[in-house]
Amino acid sequence: MGSNKSALLSEDDVQIICQETGFTPKELQRLYARFQELEKKDPPLGYLTREELLNIREVAVNPLGERLIDVLLQDHGETNKINFRQFANIFALFRRDKAPTNLHKREKKLLFLFNLYDRNHDSNIDRSELIEILKLMVGGNVNDEQISTIADHTIGELDVDGNLKITFEEFCGTLSKIHIDEKMSMKFPS
Amino acid sequence: MYQDNKHIILIVILGLLIHKYCCIEQTYQHKEAKQARFHVAEFNFDHVADVYSITLWILLGSLAKVGFHLSHRLTEKFPESCLLIILGLIVGGLLYGTHLAEQKAYVLDSNTFFLFLLPPIIFEAGYFMPNRPFFDNLGTILLLAIVNTLFNTICIGLTLWGFQFTPIYGGTKFEMLPCLVFAALISAVDPVAVLATFTEIHVNDMLYIVVFGESLLNDAVSVVLYRMFDSFAKIGQDNLIVMDIVLGFLSFFVVALGGVLLGIVFGVIGCFTTKFTEHTPVLEPLIILVYAYLSYLTSEMLSVSGILALTFCGMVMKQYIPFNISKKSDATTEYVIKMLSSIMETIIFMFMGLSTVSDNHSWNTGFVLMTLFLCLLYRVIGVIIFANIANCWRLLELTRIDMLIMSYGGLRGAIAFALALVLDETKIERKKEFVTATIAVVFFTVFLQGITIGPLVKLLNVRRKQVEEPTMSAKLTSRMMDHVMTCLEEISGSGGNNSLRDKCRNLDRNYFKRFLLREKPEQTVDIKLLKEFKSINVRSAMRVHDTSKGLIPNSSSTAMQQLPSENAFRPERRARHFSDIATPNSPQRTVPDLMLFESQGTDHQRDDAKMHRFLDSNLPHARRRATMHLRNQDELAGVEDELNSRFEKLSHHRDLRYVPIRLTREQMHAISTISKPSANSNQSPTLTATPSIHDYSETELTPNQNSRTKSNDSDIVLTPNNLRDKSSTAAERVRPWRRSASSDDIELTSQALPKSTSKNRNDPNLHPRDLTTADVSNSYRKSSEHMSEDAAATNPKENSSRLKASDLLDKQSKNSSNQPKNQANTVA
Repeated sequence: MGSNKSALLSEDDVQIICQETGFTPKELQRLYARFQELEKKDPPLGYLTREELLNIREVAVNPLGERLIDVLLQDHGETNKINFRQFANIFALFRRDKAPTNLHKREKKLLFLFNLYDRNHDSNIDRSELIEILKLMVGGNVNDEQISTIADHTIGELDVDGNLKITFEEFCGTLSKIHIDEKMSMKFPS
Repeated sequence: MYQDNKHIILIVILGLLIHKYCCIEQTYQHKEAKQARFHVAEFNFDHVADVYSITLWILLGSLAKVGFHLSHRLTEKFPESCLLIILGLIVGGLLYGTHLAEQKAYVLDSNTFFLFLLPPIIFEAGYFMPNRPFFDNLGTILLLAIVNTLFNTICIGLTLWGFQFTPIYGGTKFEMLPCLVFAALISAVDPVAVLATFTEIHVNDMLYIVVFGESLLNDAVSVVLYRMFDSFAKIGQDNLIVMDIVLGFLSFFVVALGGVLLGIVFGVIGCFTTKFTEHTPVLEPLIILVYAYLSYLTSEMLSVSGILALTFCGMVMKQYIPFNISKKSDATTEYVIKMLSSIMETIIFMFMGLSTVSDNHSWNTGFVLMTLFLCLLYRVIGVIIFANIANCWRLLELTRIDMLIMSYGGLRGAIAFALALVLDETKIERKKEFVTATIAVVFFTVFLQGITIGPLVKLLNVRRKQVEEPTMSAKLTSRMMDHVMTCLEEISGSGGNNSLRDKCRNLDRNYFKRFLLREKPEQTVDIKLLKEFKSINVRSAMRVHDTSKGLIPNSSSTAMQQLPSENAFRPERRARHFSDIATPNSPQRTVPDLMLFESQGTDHQRDDAKMHRFLDSNLPHARRRATMHLRNQDELAGVEDELNSRFEKLSHHRDLRYVPIRLTREQMHAISTISKPSANSNQSPTLTATPSIHDYSETELTPNQNSRTKSNDSDIVLTPNNLRDKSSTAAERVRPWRRSASSDDIELTSQALPKSTSKNRNDPNLHPRDLTTADVSNSYRKSSEHMSEDAAATNPKENSSRLKASDLLDKQSKNSSNQPKNQANTVA
């Protein structure tokens, strides 16, 4: 860690954020250290930008990396900036609780996923958004026609009311069998 | 029901009679030498004696299994293993009664067991091991396998020894080392028994893999401990020095790591060999099996853990080999492995029953009861302790119920028994007591725990195995979640499973796959997603085909007949099926005459495109019916509705279980009317516009529909561009539809891979084995050629024909759109 970075959060901040997010203070400090590590600005301003997040190599090569950063920055932070509190709140969503399943959390996680698709925020996934995601995931070597077939097929499966867009409810319906909570949770080192 | 019972009884009796007859024959003494005359035919049993009896055993086992499964009621209550043991007991009783049991062939020979009977089962376990749950839970599995087994061994051994000072044993003395040897062999959970039992109860993957993984990996520990204590016993308790114990401890590492390494090495060599078997596809299954067996034998030779070697060999091979070998070889390999393991398992259980009835026993009530009690007790204690330790780092914690099932599922089996039989009686005086106690424990666990674990699981509402629906959306979202979690883990700096997995995958792709695979893996293409799509496509296509036989436009029956050549297992049957619906003008019977196809030119393309359209339009109706990959027919009953099972029996599709699409009359009519005009036309337009998938779900036909129809026209063709021009096997190279525009879907359907019914224990959803990159790239390559050829030709005419057909269909679909929607809803 650079010597010019402030070491710890203030006590009050820790209190507030811990209460909001449910992290333990140790975990939070660890997360804060990471936050500082990611921030490359000099002097550190307390927020992360898109470029700094993209600096992480694995994020840059991840097929959904950029899109995820979009979601993080736009939905959970201010445009193009995200401060530590919002940062912690995002990860709080994925934190593995010892407590029994919080239904609220499951919904929020699903919403998070839904937002990955739905970038124009019309609370519908339409075909073009689906195709975008598919293209990102499947890679550049696959033909457009094939992707649109896959997209059509997927919409066909999901779309219950037949308007060719997938609403949040329809989206959740598919995933009822998959255990979201388990798949989408992380352990935070403390 | 009564008929079924009769069948079983008949088969079993038949089996027994055959067996008895041959046994009796075996005791024929050599007739005295008479004056040699020419014999027209001789009875020469000695010549074939050994082989004959082995074959008869195998036959008996198979017939027994067949018989058991005829009665659904029986298999519901009793796990197969129990029934087989009972059968073995009966036969053993008969043989004993007729004093034939002295013959060595009828007792479980440990050598036979370890060299022949065990390897196929272990290899099957390794090959079909669901990788992801295994590696996700690896920490827990290792902890249980190593530490728990050690704990159990020491505790049981010392306690048993300790109790000899009490009057429980009736005065028999047991020394410490023999007790420890016995504890070593009795405390290890047996993979064969676990497999046999757990497959039938369908618990969730995580629980299954924890117990099963433990049973596989504990071999390292139990082998080391057994050998260690055995040789200590040989050395003699008084002669032991500290060095021996230290060496024993070291040998653990050697055994475990040596086994794993050997397995991986042989696996890699095997994969590398298959890189070059392009021209000899017939040898591929053999190569795979031989390498696997060699890994086992080599590790047995070097006295490292053969089971570990086989497991890891299988796992390594599974990663790379299916991409290299031809589809037929792949299917064959899988099926052979399954067949071998199934029959070996049957024989093992039968032999166990058989060997019970012998003189090798000495019943010591106190000892037996004590052993039983201690096994159960320490198992529970061990599981509780170590599961709680594991919960410290586990993401998904093991609940109390999980722990209960884990301790209940600690079954002992044939391995313990075989090891007990090998004990040297001179060094270990109490061998007979040990054998008896082992059998008692094995029987107890297999019978009592085996029978009751099913109801227990249901009672406790343990989370069952999810039969995952092969929907595209689920798969897509699942992959997305993986990517998202990997990313998030990276950002937050907490390296979790996901990022680790990702790193391994990248490493794999960059180095191993390049080295071991025939064709370079494509960068960034999410192969699994495409595979999934293709397999869904294929399944839907098959469903459509089966329901609408007779409705397929006539001239495209020739296209359908191309399917037989690619169908791995039922070419004859499928071709016969086609020839039922084939029109008089299609000359092909079982083997499509390839020359004919090549000369067909535009007709052929047109038919293919029609078929395409037809299939595509019906794809979404092939809705989410879970394809349940089940081990046998019995498990079907009660799960699917009657119509389904009847339908399946009709269509002989054992492997893929699916709901037939019930096309309504209007739909069928619509489809046939479309096909008619184009059948007669001489024009090249191939793309008759069957309505796009949206039509059936929309009640109103918006202008969007037509535009989408247009855009969907080229959808069918799956044509990515730059793939290496490399053909795979000779058989696949001779593909007749090289030149057809929409060959790909036909190829998809033809590459229908009714992969042999995967057993439930190997979750089929976790390792989609249907199509490989080789297939994908092959089909792409071929279509890329024609895409350019035909695109120009077909485009101009599209619009005109499309509108006509779509008008026609509009009327029909308006009526029928409600019905398919209802159907779809009811199906889903």
